[in-house]
Amino acid sequence: MVGVQDVPETLDDSTLIGHSIADPESFAALFDRHADEIHRYAARRLGAELADDVTGEVFLVAFRSRARYDRSWPDARPWLYGIATRVVAQHRRAERRRTAALAKVGVERPGTFDDRSADRVTAEQLQPRLARALTGLNAGERDLLLLVAWADLSYEDAALALGVPIGTVRSRLHRLRAKVRRAFGGTDPFAEEAQHG
Amino acid sequence: MDEDEIRAFAEGRPAVPPYGAEARARARERLLEQARGAGRFRLPRFGWQAAAAFGVTVALVGGAAVTLSGRGPDGVTPATSATQAAAGAPDDLDPRPGQFILVESDVMYPLFRIGRSGVDSRELTREHRKVWQSVDGSADGLLLVEGRASRPWPDESLPEAAAKEQRGSAYIALPACPGDQYRPDYASLSTLPSEAAAMRAYVYRASAAQVSKAQGKRVVGTDEAAWAHVKGLLEDTYLPRAQREALFEATKTIPGVEVTEGVADGADREGVALGRPDVGGKLTQLIFDPTTRQYMGLRSTVTDAGQANAPVGSVVNLTAQYDASVVDELPDVKTRPMNGGTCHTPSRPPSDEAFPMEAPSDEAFPTDALSEDGFSMEAPSDEAFPTDALSEDGFPMEAPSEDSVPVEPPGEAYPVITRTVTASPEPPPAGD
Repeated sequence: MVGVQDVPETLDDSTLIGHSIADPESFAALFDRHADEIHRYAARRLGAELADDVTGEVFLVAFRSRARYDRSWPDARPWLYGIATRVVAQHRRAERRRTAALAKVGVERPGTFDDRSADRVTAEQLQPRLARALTGLNAGERDLLLLVAWADLSYEDAALALGVPIGTVRSRLHRLRAKVRRAFGGTDPFAEEAQHG
Repeated sequence: MDEDEIRAFAEGRPAVPPYGAEARARARERLLEQARGAGRFRLPRFGWQAAAAFGVTVALVGGAAVTLSGRGPDGVTPATSATQAAAGAPDDLDPRPGQFILVESDVMYPLFRIGRSGVDSRELTREHRKVWQSVDGSADGLLLVEGRASRPWPDESLPEAAAKEQRGSAYIALPACPGDQYRPDYASLSTLPSEAAAMRAYVYRASAAQVSKAQGKRVVGTDEAAWAHVKGLLEDTYLPRAQREALFEATKTIPGVEVTEGVADGADREGVALGRPDVGGKLTQLIFDPTTRQYMGLRSTVTDAGQANAPVGSVVNLTAQYDASVVDELPDVKTRPMNGGTCHTPSRPPSDEAFPMEAPSDEAFPTDALSEDGFSMEAPSDEAFPTDALSEDGFPMEAPSEDSVPVEPPGEAYPVITRTVTASPEPPPAGD
């Protein structure tokens, strides 16, 4: 047991999560700290309506996974953003299943970015130039770009959130930047080469 | 951010409405409901489970609370006093396989109630504990926690939430962990070294995993970890005579430890204390019977008012652990499972389902999109959380209370958590 100096402001996320193993309700303190931020991210990606559901879901998933939290990371934000990204992806996949089911019964199967609801919402909220650039990215690149650009995660934190090595983040960033640059109109032959090479 | 492309997205981030207060409150309440179902009881304090024996004790203020009801669980009165050895001169127990050792204690420790803006209040919470452990580790054990009225924090008055709180009791099942390397049962403790130097080596070896270097915020040194491990070996357990004598001598040699005679435990019994400065501006003393070396309890006294937020000399932890006894069987009671008190022997290699590894893929949609649930961390969780699904069990001790979450036992037993951030060769789970 430790003294008070460790408790209020200095009680980091990792410690809180540790406590929540034996004291599950204390996990709500993590919600209090980060729910607004996760909600913002979810709202940007899925729209305000779905963001409510997503945020609740993120923290429930986080709660259930708390025993496996790597407590050497004092800040839980990358972990929460990682979960949020997967919950967003789940919505995207659910939409895709529905789309596939519709296709089976004869409805014309859409095949573009804009038909996938999650990404469509993301795109709708953006300037056309950005939306167009997003369509050229695959899911992994999109997740990474938006974690860095919208959630302000460092590359290290983004790697943690996405569960990939930092090297993967760097190469993925390099690739997606080239794609975005091309979509913006500033074609860079070297980037092009990097993408295919 | 020095990349123009990324900055373009950062600057173009959509404006979004704030999280609506109502939706926010709903989500928080759902989380709390889930958390309440997961149970909230202090775990036994066996050192080898205490990956963070250095933890603080917190309670959360502001959620609707479940508290222990004042009703005793089913009027069970385990026959213990008949077999209890006479105080002061305990005969060594001679338990047989299949039996149980019962250790009772009264404990008091700091509790912080935490609200949205930090610590709302603090108090010294108290409980009476009974721990039954299978002699040979073959059967599940049992923990009874009976709440006692909190005492005020030194020089403060008792917080309203503490004064209003109704404390009750609960039985909690303690899972047997036959595969674990370090176990709290008599048979296992009997195999510990019976000689001081070997015991010392054992303590340092066993606690090595808890030494931390600059990870997180607190550095735990080897001596501090060893000291914490000693505490864990003593609390709620019964050590055979040879091992407890060896442990006493070994503990004396941990740097920083000082011997003091005539220190009173929580039942005002005097013993010989081994004391060491603890985190948070306290001196913690482990108190032993001067002749038998039976562990009698601990006392933590404030030595640094600034760090401890309490006057120098005030006592913030106080324990009395009573003589152990042997019983043939556990009381027949309804238990709730212990949350987080899992065996250390993983049934499979540690993996982190909250971090499913993304298969390197440049396809717009990886194949896991086809899985029905599509969400690996939502799969029925492993035995690490047996209790999460049990919220509907209607445990007898639950009763509603109004506005604060009640006293929480110190979270001292955390499962060891490991995670490696590497690309996994495992393909995403294939669904239908």
